[in-house]
Amino acid sequence: MCDIIWCKKEVGGKPCNTVNYLDPYTFWNWEGKVNCAECKTVYYIHMIQGFNFKGPEERPGEKPDTSPLYADKPLEGYKGYYPGIEGRTRPYQCLPRHIYLGKADMVKFSIRGRPVRGWRPQPPSAGIAGSFPYKWDIQKLSPEVWQEYQEKKKKGEVKDW
Amino acid sequence: MAGEIRPKSKEELEEMKIPYEEYCRKAFDPGNEHGKPGALTGIRWLSCTMYIFTPHSAANLAELGAEVIKIEIPRMGDAMRHTSPFNEAYLYPLHDTRPMTGTGFGFLNANPNEFYLSMDYHIPEMREVFYNLVRQADGLTELYRPSTFDKWKMSYRSLSQINPRFIYVWGGGFGYGPKVFGGSYDILAQAHAGFASITGMHEHMGGHATKSSNWVMDWNSGSMIAFGVLGAIHWRRKTGLGTMIEFSQVQTAAMVTEYAVPLYGRFGIVRQRWGNWDTQLCVHGIILCGKSDFPDAQNPQDKFDARYVMVSAFQDRDFQELCNITGQKQLFDKYKAHKDRVEALAQVEVYLALEKWAADKTRSQVVKALTDAGILAYPVMNDREVYESPHYRERGTIRWMDDPLYGDILNMSGYSTGHLSKTPRKVSWIWRPVGADNVKIYRDMLGYPLSKVEEWYAKAWI
Repeated sequence: MCDIIWCKKEVGGKPCNTVNYLDPYTFWNWEGKVNCAECKTVYYIHMIQGFNFKGPEERPGEKPDTSPLYADKPLEGYKGYYPGIEGRTRPYQCLPRHIYLGKADMVKFSIRGRPVRGWRPQPPSAGIAGSFPYKWDIQKLSPEVWQEYQEKKKKGEVKDW
Repeated sequence: MAGEIRPKSKEELEEMKIPYEEYCRKAFDPGNEHGKPGALTGIRWLSCTMYIFTPHSAANLAELGAEVIKIEIPRMGDAMRHTSPFNEAYLYPLHDTRPMTGTGFGFLNANPNEFYLSMDYHIPEMREVFYNLVRQADGLTELYRPSTFDKWKMSYRSLSQINPRFIYVWGGGFGYGPKVFGGSYDILAQAHAGFASITGMHEHMGGHATKSSNWVMDWNSGSMIAFGVLGAIHWRRKTGLGTMIEFSQVQTAAMVTEYAVPLYGRFGIVRQRWGNWDTQLCVHGIILCGKSDFPDAQNPQDKFDARYVMVSAFQDRDFQELCNITGQKQLFDKYKAHKDRVEALAQVEVYLALEKWAADKTRSQVVKALTDAGILAYPVMNDREVYESPHYRERGTIRWMDDPLYGDILNMSGYSTGHLSKTPRKVSWIWRPVGADNVKIYRDMLGYPLSKVEEWYAKAWI
């Protein structure tokens, strides 16, 4: 379940009428300012255990702390904004939360020393319309990892378990 | 002799001679599942699902051999792909348009063996394409708020007009009723059904209502849906007709509260938490030992938490032996009868005495002392120990697999769900990128020209 901010701000003579969805993971216990994805009006809210304790109150001229996860306009045939639209919805880059490592934990090998596709960026290899082949040709697509793997094998660092 | 089973061939005779354990090894043959057929081969299922609960219901079918087509939001995919346990384990790529984004391990085990299609099925332009999928499929699982698919003309009452044999599953939080629009998370199901209220230690002992760390209600509910689907498939074989399955997650969570609700119905008693002990058996719980088995380890799970032991000695003779070897003979004299020691205050006394005895011992020392005396005791193992357990390795429960796209993955998934000798569960791949099978489905299965597929892709409809 997630809470929403239904923006009724008058814009151009009519209400904005945008439903801004607040992703529960981010907003479960949260106090701060969120922008409307459509008209960018900034609202202050204070959420406690998923319930809107205070707000939304307009905070004109202030900068938002974050943005809604996504938004739509149900009265206009669900015209909407997907996640990750800069300045409108929350960036969705899946970067780790700062309280952990500060960066995604990239790996090229599993704990038994065999290649695993755990680093980015990967060379684009999709075919038409995002289609992917069924085999990761590591030797061709990531020759440097393949080389490293051969070295590991020589050193006896590749195990069964 | 009447009732005697006679071998019908020399081979059968030889098979009957081998010890039963060897027979089982041969019948199940872990590691060679892919040479055997799938029980649900021929079933085609559509999965319009996200997170764990509903995806897992379709994954159950895919592991049993069904062809499952997972339909995801274009370029984004299932929201669950974008989660990860810390330390941020991702596999790349998610999609060619997002080179810096991967799929997190939270997605693991919920969607293996599936074909990945991307489609924005809520726009009218794609509705006929979606209907064409329904015409060629046996069923569908979806998880949207009730009536969302109905609004899009994609609920059972629309789809059964197109395909009367269609089996339709809605899985969500509450289903129809007073909370019809309430969504659900695993934790919500645990809370709403009272499951969390009976999990954890009593507050007087420093405990709180507790959620299970993993998403037990998601995995459990997903499996229960799969049972419903198998029932519906059997019903359809007899009648030729499909079924609508409406599955409220908070209902499943209510089922696993055991006798709590019937107890209230009979006595008006509200069941309380009893944590690592048992309300019906004593001794039958988990105790804390004073010393870790791995005091020098760096990992805190090893260094500090390798101190718990599960012990079961509720039979009078076992309890007597337990009291003897722990030097608590007075406890046996006091609580000879099980009905006495299972009482709440007696349990407090018994378990405190056991933990006092274990206070200067390691987990291994406690387990050895108890098992040497013939008492059932096991260490509470962590994930590393599970990984190293020969039992799981030998039975193939946990195994390394070379995923064709993502490489070396340690996995349990379908292999942890029991063996089937003729039609075992299999994991062929853990997942694929968003829309990885677009051409296979849109062109090869539905017959749309590539130019159309490319046009949809450019418009982000797929």
